[in-house]
Amino acid sequence: MMTVYLKGGGLLREYLQPDVDEYTRRVEVAEGRTLRQILEAIGIRPVHVAMAFVGNRLVNLAYVPSDGETITLRPPVQGG
Amino acid sequence: MRIQVTAEACSGCRLCRQVCVVEKFGEVNPRKARLRIEARFPVPGRYVPHVCDQCGDCAEACPTEAIVQRADGVYEVQPELCTACGVCIDVCPEGVMVKGPDDIPFKCDFCWRCTEVCNTGALVRVE
Amino acid sequence: MLKGFGGRQLRINLSTGEIRTSPLDPTFARKWLGGRGFVAKILYDEVPRNADPFGPENRLVVTPGVFSGNFGPSGSKCSFGAVSPLSNGEGDSTVGGHFGPELKFAGYDLIVFQGISPKPVYLFIDDDRVELRDASAYWGQGTMETEAALKRDLGEDFEIAAVGPAAENRVVFACIGHDYGRQAGRCGVGAVMGGKRLKAIAVRGTRSTPLHDLPTLKELTLRIIKRTAQHPNMAPWQKYGTAMFVGWSNEHGVYPTHNFQTTYFDRYAGIDGGPLVERILVTNKACFGCWMNCGKYSKVQIEGKDTVYVEGPEYETGSLCGGNCGFDQIEQVAYVNWLCDTVGIDTMTGGNIIAFAMECYEKGLITRKQLEGHELRWGNLEDVEHFIRMVVERRGIGEYFARGYQAAAAYIGGGAERYTCQVKGQGMSGYDGRGAPAMLLAYMTADIGAHHNRAWTITMDEDLGKDVIRGKAKVVVHLQHIRPLFDTISSCRLFWGEIDVTDQEHIDAIKLMTGWDDFTLEEAMRLSERIWNLNRAHFLERNGGPGRKFDYPNARFYEEAVPSGPAKGARLTLADLDVMLDEYYAARGWGLDGNPSREVLEDLGLEDVATNLERAGLLGQLSAPLPPVRGEKYKPKAF
Repeated sequence: MMTVYLKGGGLLREYLQPDVDEYTRRVEVAEGRTLRQILEAIGIRPVHVAMAFVGNRLVNLAYVPSDGETITLRPPVQGG
Repeated sequence: MRIQVTAEACSGCRLCRQVCVVEKFGEVNPRKARLRIEARFPVPGRYVPHVCDQCGDCAEACPTEAIVQRADGVYEVQPELCTACGVCIDVCPEGVMVKGPDDIPFKCDFCWRCTEVCNTGALVRVE
Repeated sequence: MLKGFGGRQLRINLSTGEIRTSPLDPTFARKWLGGRGFVAKILYDEVPRNADPFGPENRLVVTPGVFSGNFGPSGSKCSFGAVSPLSNGEGDSTVGGHFGPELKFAGYDLIVFQGISPKPVYLFIDDDRVELRDASAYWGQGTMETEAALKRDLGEDFEIAAVGPAAENRVVFACIGHDYGRQAGRCGVGAVMGGKRLKAIAVRGTRSTPLHDLPTLKELTLRIIKRTAQHPNMAPWQKYGTAMFVGWSNEHGVYPTHNFQTTYFDRYAGIDGGPLVERILVTNKACFGCWMNCGKYSKVQIEGKDTVYVEGPEYETGSLCGGNCGFDQIEQVAYVNWLCDTVGIDTMTGGNIIAFAMECYEKGLITRKQLEGHELRWGNLEDVEHFIRMVVERRGIGEYFARGYQAAAAYIGGGAERYTCQVKGQGMSGYDGRGAPAMLLAYMTADIGAHHNRAWTITMDEDLGKDVIRGKAKVVVHLQHIRPLFDTISSCRLFWGEIDVTDQEHIDAIKLMTGWDDFTLEEAMRLSERIWNLNRAHFLERNGGPGRKFDYPNARFYEEAVPSGPAKGARLTLADLDVMLDEYYAARGWGLDGNPSREVLEDLGLEDVATNLERAGLLGQLSAPLPPVRGEKYKPKAF
């Protein structure tokens, strides 16, 4: 098992249920899981994530996080 | 000690100008701000912030020696010595000195409010 | 003394040249707040019901609201309103940038134009000095050209709102441009302005706006700035703006493609936020006092074309002038964006109209001959450029498109109505409602026609089920109150929607600006509902009833299934739409005919409006008891 931190604001926060700080949720996952699998495992539909970032780097839902990493999730804009 | 300007980062929101006047005059009125944003539009499409770098040109030009340098390098207007002639405003190379009440000029005193609200990295406090 | 406002209004009769300045009535200010509120009330009270939107009796209302120019979160917005030549009902559209704040600093909360000027003029405002000036030197110029020329002639520190040739020629979806690429785009407010021969408004303001408690407001705003700078949405938002949602919208099957024939554009990768930032971005460009700077200013170089500069493309343009017209390169989309901005047409209804014409061409309903020997192929820049010129100059078949969907479809014939993706004459925003029924309901019922800014529901549709029809109408009603509230107070709703500046923080800011200690969120929400009902009544009094008959989209949205992409197979029936409308009207306290009831109007303090509707035979009958609160906030399912 390893630890991944998911960070998100706006409507996404209501799904994410942050526990570390206002925006961050700590998740324990098995190694090798994709971001999509991690999200689904904690009950977040991919539709609520428009983009994901590791630092400034844009990644997609097939990204495999490593231990201790923080992934910033970006919900869709509430209407362009 | 200076305000480091990165023009490419500026998005022209003028929050710096707003907060400057809120802080110094207790008003909302960006025209009284002690810094300005030049907008080069439509071509080439760039904002250029102009801020005081405490160059001292104003003090040099002042006929009554009403502008004095503090120990920390900041030039300050002494209202009691000022005759409101406006020469300092004219000579300011960045065009960031403004008239206040009774035409007494005001200038930047490095209060850093502008750098605190700038969210783009265009204005950064450097010690 | 009225705090938080400029305190004055201007009344301008363009027929006679008369200009009157008077104080803003504090009771009126509190009851309608400014922006969209002022627009709705003035249009309802002053424009005769049979007045032509292009006639002298229509009003053009320009109004920054209470937030404008004040040191709160955002406060950049300015509303432009008129009876819309698209919908023939109330129309209002907001623009960001720096124009609203500048008007406020000149001391004005409201300008109401009436009449038609005998010759082209522009309004010059330099604090107390207000003049109508000859605009013949600028007439015929594009919006950005006019802005540059006026700044050159008057001074860089003037803020300009100007219309282009499309507005001069009364193209019904003409917009008003400001700050080299921002627009009051929707409802054809630019067409009304151009029809009045008002080329531009130039304003410079140097006054300080009186505020009730600036020290506390400063504290609040600085606290919000500090907090939101760390918000997880901030960095991606600053970097990409709204353009990044092109990809998301495709992956979830709501992206309008080829005039909404389908909802997935397989070549979207070239027009997403990434290519925008990597290939054409020149600078980020913010509205007044906004630390989110979502505006993207771009330089577009295409072989054989002049190099052009444009703000955008943001998401709506990137969808409606992008995949919806078959463009798969960001440079092409940006070029179409520039074309629309320059001639002064809304990229949303404009993008829709172009796509509509393209589909008619594809289906052989309009011919090469009618296009002066040109074609109108998906993704072809030359074709689009030529077509836009035809419409703006009202040449040949362009004349009918310039008059809007109905005129164009009637002229074309052959069942072309099916391809007019609109409600009440307003082209749909960049989300297809077949895979998101509540979104379609939001378009159907929006006061100004199919516009997303009144309510946006895609993620709720996904949560509750994309094929679920029932149980969503109440949320649409709630959103139709909260979201347009930001247009009423002239703040940007993206502070609320993107970085969690709460609705209550906005109300707190208003209290500190105005000194209205007893002002509450409930009062603001009721105001928003009052505006909604007033606009509905206004629409019905102009167009007749029952209201329900105006609340349907074109047949594509209830007869055709989505043919491809992630939403493949999604379809709604007319019966589905009727179920949603029944629920919606009940949630609003309206009759099943879509007409407001006396009960709801009286509850909102609109007794006089109920009487007007009754006299016209347009009052609805409640089918169920009036809900004490209309609308319901969506609570995401907890997991």
